[in-house]
Amino acid sequence: MIFAYLDAGSGSLILQALLGGLAGIAVAFKAWKARLVGKRAVSEAEHELSGTEEPAANSES
Amino acid sequence: MPSPDPGSFRDPSSRVVFDGDRVLRLLDDRGLRSWQDLTSSDFFGRATADGRLIEAHETENPGEGAVGALEHPRLPFISYPYEWTFSMLKNAALLQLGLLEEALGEGLTIKDATPFNIQFLDGHPIFIDIGSFERYQPGEPWIGYRQFTRQFLFPLMLRSWAGLPFHPWLRGDMEGPSAADMKRILSRGQRMKPAAMMHVTLQARMEERMSGEAVRSNLREAGFSSDLIVANVGKLRSLVESLHWEQEDAGWSGYHSFDHVARDRDDKAGFLRESLQARQPGRVLDLGANDGHFSAIAAEHGALAIAVDGHEPVLDSLYKQSAGSSIAVVVSDLTNPSPSQGWAGTERPSLMERANPDLIVAYGVIHHLMYTASIPPRSILKWLRDFEAPVVLEFVSPEDPMVDKLTANKLESELHAGRDEPAFRQLLAAHFEIRREKVLEGSTRILFDLVPSGR
Repeated sequence: MIFAYLDAGSGSLILQALLGGLAGIAVAFKAWKARLVGKRAVSEAEHELSGTEEPAANSES
Repeated sequence: MPSPDPGSFRDPSSRVVFDGDRVLRLLDDRGLRSWQDLTSSDFFGRATADGRLIEAHETENPGEGAVGALEHPRLPFISYPYEWTFSMLKNAALLQLGLLEEALGEGLTIKDATPFNIQFLDGHPIFIDIGSFERYQPGEPWIGYRQFTRQFLFPLMLRSWAGLPFHPWLRGDMEGPSAADMKRILSRGQRMKPAAMMHVTLQARMEERMSGEAVRSNLREAGFSSDLIVANVGKLRSLVESLHWEQEDAGWSGYHSFDHVARDRDDKAGFLRESLQARQPGRVLDLGANDGHFSAIAAEHGALAIAVDGHEPVLDSLYKQSAGSSIAVVVSDLTNPSPSQGWAGTERPSLMERANPDLIVAYGVIHHLMYTASIPPRSILKWLRDFEAPVVLEFVSPEDPMVDKLTANKLESELHAGRDEPAFRQLLAAHFEIRREKVLEGSTRILFDLVPSGR
């Protein structure tokens, strides 16, 4: 990893991919999707651990 | 024992220390690897040879917990982005983007994007933070993008689009305006420009929605590559190039066309030349430099002229005209010069601490401090005396037509003591010895060559 001593900003990092033209839009979209999937997985795992059956109603909250 | 540069502490892998007059950069393992990567590129030799990148060579490691040390040439004067003109910040932005593009072409990147890594030498921007270069790791995004927008792009947009000076903002908040701030500042029409929609509105929204999330691994896995950074940087470069500032003449740009200024100019130049020849100063601080006429004379005599003025339009013209000469342009109001600020209040030293003049030129300025800014003459002379340097000064007596204009709306009781010639001479005697003096045509203005008393 490149050593980042400054706060690059999560949203700005996705945006700088988006600004890389058509190929960038595809990458940004993929990364955005991976983020949502990742969040859902974490949220479901938390629910399993806490013994809750219901999956998260809103994975983005 | 080397002393740390108070402005170099954020990056633990590369920090600057001063050892007497020497400027050393201490590297840890990571910093040393990055230096080796940088020096093995063609880019490094090219960029140092044409003066875009500061020179550096390995030197004996003084210890201090470092595994390696570099030495840089010492720059004669340091200025900060809140003291630059529009064209200076624009050229610095183009240098930042150009270096990043070239570095990426050779598998390197720049890990930040702040104008504090750039200085001006003989009117040209030069990148001074060698420690910012690192080997590019495949899949890594451009970490400095947000910083670039806040510290370069948005301040330039403020001036170019909204007509606002960026100095108060950058001086008040050295991180620069955020995308959310810009969204509030720009008009609806300005926000409709494609560049604003992307860098301002969309960035503000994404920052708001995705605060504090780890996205770097997601980007890498999604196939991010340096080509995308190059594409973004190329477009940002076109955007920065398209930003212009139509200067409005706010009253000072035509200053030298006033009768008294044109008439006295040659006499003042001649008087200054005598002082320059007698003293051969290395650094001349030109207070109220205006179009830089006297700074240019000091530079011709081999001095570094630090041209300070609060009026950005005249200094922007001076900057554009003086490329290649040793004139350092500084936008700063003399009644409120840049303070010492940043972390611990010492990260960015005050303008007065950095000036360190061997000679001060105060032509056409102290009557403005006295009458427009209502600063007591006693206080002005004490301030000048504290620089511990000779002063070439123009005194303007209350009978001068310019003073009539400056005091048109002031009552006699609102003016400070010490403004008439006998009283001013008395105040002078408390701080300085008069070495030479010359009464200008019209007898309302006197030039003095002064040395601090007790020296």
